[in-house]
Amino acid sequence: MIGTLNRKEIGKGAFINSVKEPKFKHNRITLCLVTPLEKEKATVNALVPFVLRKGCKSCPDFTALNKKLAEMYGAILEADVGKHGNSQVIEVTLLLADDKYAIGGEKMTETAANLLWDIVFEPNLDENGYFPQIDLELEREYLIDTIESDLNDKRTYAIGKALDLVFEDEPFGIKRYGYVEDAKAITAKSLADAWKELVEKARIEIFFSGPGSADAAEKVFAEKIASIKRSPKEASAAEIVDYSPFKEAEESMDIVQGKLVMVFRMGAPKTGHEKNSARVLSALYGGTAFSKLFMNVREKMSLCYYADSHFERGSGIMLVDCGIEFENREKAQQEIIRQLELVAKGDFTDEEFADTKGAIFNSLGSVGDTLYSIESWYMSGILEENPITPEEDAAAIKKITKEDVMKAAEKAKLSAVFFLKGGENA
Amino acid sequence: MTGELIKIESKRLGDCYYKYEHKSGLTILMAPMKGFNTAYTMFGTAYGSIDTCIKTAENGEFIKLPEGIAHYLEHKLFESEECSAFERYAKTGANANAFTAFDRTAYLFACSDKFKESIEILLDFVTHPYFTPETVAKEQGIIGQEIRMYDDSADWKVLFNLLGALYHKNPVKIDIAGTVESIAEITADLLYDCYNTFYNLHNMVLTVAGNFDMEDVIKAADKILEPAKDFYLERAVCDEPDSVVENYVEQHLPVSVPMFNIGFKGKTGTEAENFIGSVLDEIFVGALCDDYTKVYRELYDEGLINATFGSEVFCGRDYISVLISGESREPEKVYARLKKEFEHLVEHGIPEDIFACAQKTVYGHYMRSCDRVTGVATSLFNCHFPGVDMYELLEAAANATPEKVIERIKTTYYAENSALSVIKP
Repeated sequence: MIGTLNRKEIGKGAFINSVKEPKFKHNRITLCLVTPLEKEKATVNALVPFVLRKGCKSCPDFTALNKKLAEMYGAILEADVGKHGNSQVIEVTLLLADDKYAIGGEKMTETAANLLWDIVFEPNLDENGYFPQIDLELEREYLIDTIESDLNDKRTYAIGKALDLVFEDEPFGIKRYGYVEDAKAITAKSLADAWKELVEKARIEIFFSGPGSADAAEKVFAEKIASIKRSPKEASAAEIVDYSPFKEAEESMDIVQGKLVMVFRMGAPKTGHEKNSARVLSALYGGTAFSKLFMNVREKMSLCYYADSHFERGSGIMLVDCGIEFENREKAQQEIIRQLELVAKGDFTDEEFADTKGAIFNSLGSVGDTLYSIESWYMSGILEENPITPEEDAAAIKKITKEDVMKAAEKAKLSAVFFLKGGENA
Repeated sequence: MTGELIKIESKRLGDCYYKYEHKSGLTILMAPMKGFNTAYTMFGTAYGSIDTCIKTAENGEFIKLPEGIAHYLEHKLFESEECSAFERYAKTGANANAFTAFDRTAYLFACSDKFKESIEILLDFVTHPYFTPETVAKEQGIIGQEIRMYDDSADWKVLFNLLGALYHKNPVKIDIAGTVESIAEITADLLYDCYNTFYNLHNMVLTVAGNFDMEDVIKAADKILEPAKDFYLERAVCDEPDSVVENYVEQHLPVSVPMFNIGFKGKTGTEAENFIGSVLDEIFVGALCDDYTKVYRELYDEGLINATFGSEVFCGRDYISVLISGESREPEKVYARLKKEFEHLVEHGIPEDIFACAQKTVYGHYMRSCDRVTGVATSLFNCHFPGVDMYELLEAAANATPEKVIERIKTTYYAENSALSVIKP
């Protein structure tokens, strides 16, 4: 029920991926630069999309660029950085109405492909090859604010702290937007060098989805790529460690609700089947409104409003978190551990097991219904070098047995606990 | 199907939806969408956190309700004598949820399979309340934690502090979930009173969008819904003055950069006038400070705002305001500049090129919502209570002119009737 993925190499380390979806009124085109996640480069690379968003040679003025987008029926241009496993991904996306909704019959898709290329590969550089100083200064400040903004949402903040404990120096622990100290040290030259290295060496993944013709976009991109110098380097997959020593920390802040985060290592799932077992486990344990954590920690004990678990495929950990009264920390932590032990012992019915899979199938069934979810679904698959359809994924989930889930729960080991409590700011 | 199915079309988009008046008194709005795999369904009532003072045919005089009771009721409705609605949905795989807003409450689910079973569960549990003192007491802890979560949320506080500065009497300034103290007053009897008053099918709507068969919806309604009693309700009218309470409010919370919300308070019209008018207000606020304007550029280049800056129109049954939010180390300067530009635009009109950008952006926004099953079901739901046809909003954007927009702003807003709310580290 989701369009098939059409993947083609259109240059050295450059691929165009397209999914034809006639039911939508918009096309979505994303250009990704995929590079190995390295601590020293993470911050400066994270600044690149922010300065790229400010303009390009063909449209150097930021306001003029935004006007141009607004005139294309409010097209949306987004530039951001993400991470997947041990890859850092610089993403620039254009979401715009399909040509058939253009009042004047404009060829918007082709214009969009050209604009997207210009934004990433033809930025507005000065005679030294540097980005405008004002953009560097403003966006560096914004990058610092973004890094620090974790603090604004206490749940995000506590999760970040728990992940710091568990990953320490592993690539999975590198922050998405990097580090404040590194951001402060970025210069015009280091930023320009980072951009140059990215466009030359990063893998290029272009994703086109929607009712429009990917051919028009492909033609634009293939010609452009042939015109630049490329020497791509590939990232090797990061190793997931089995277990790490248990660590615990807490912090005080002027807040009224405590945030408890618990991270479990799952014993480095080696096969797809093992990963899927952990996925089903996490859903059964705390991924639905009828899960063990929801039914017990929330409904039975009335300890919290949310108590969720989720499995991170890229790094192989399972994360549980909840918001509670400060004095209920021990009670909540014990019950969370007890529920996992019960699952390991097989204390769940066939019905609960089947219903959990049903919830997973339902969410897989919705992947094809937005351009964003189609793109993220296939892009995750591409980055994991195994792009499959949601139907194929559902077939693999179907094979997971009750014993598989018990085994996955048995292998789970609590590796880190972080608690954010009330009091004076630390 | 016994009743009449009325088709409502948008020639501009080539889309349509259907309206069905069910014999029970419920209005059903359906938008089958070809090629989509999920169905998104919402069932709800014109009852929200602002309904704190009401008069019904039975009680004869105005009674005051505890703050947060609509939201409490939403939580408790999920329970029946046997099991929770979540446990029933578990059998169909549907992803279910609910929310309480200022002037409405909705129960919803999304599914890619077993639609018939899921819609029966939805219609059944929402029309069969079951509250006991024990089940009501149990929820105090859960909702107490939900309230605490929001107490720590800077995004939430900056908005409610602003509403408190903008509104003297309108209960829109009250937190949707109430307070730990106010919810302690809620009893099973009080929940039944509210339920019987507001959950009358004449005061409700069912909307469905995406992959489903319309006949299945009507069959489920035939099977489950009983004809509703006549509906009579009088809501206390709050005579809210045009002026604001104060122009500035601040609070300290652990945040990295100061956050702000600026609100321009509008004069409320009828609910429908607020909805249609809000489209013109969106165009206006776009022309005022969206990223293609001179003001945005100046504020950005001076380091006074960053990419988190944005705007929206906040409107409902008897309130409307233009809200602008972001992060800034000097929010007072941002506020002063925007107020000045507001007055300038009202006096001198909107330049043609800027108007074109604002109009196309707003038009594009409404068109994008038609590309998602959630967007369509939500628009149908939101437009029903004011009595607006969903495509009227898109048409209002398409037919707007700079003159119409300025005329509307002149009669609805006054730049001084505004406030700045700041959360500081």
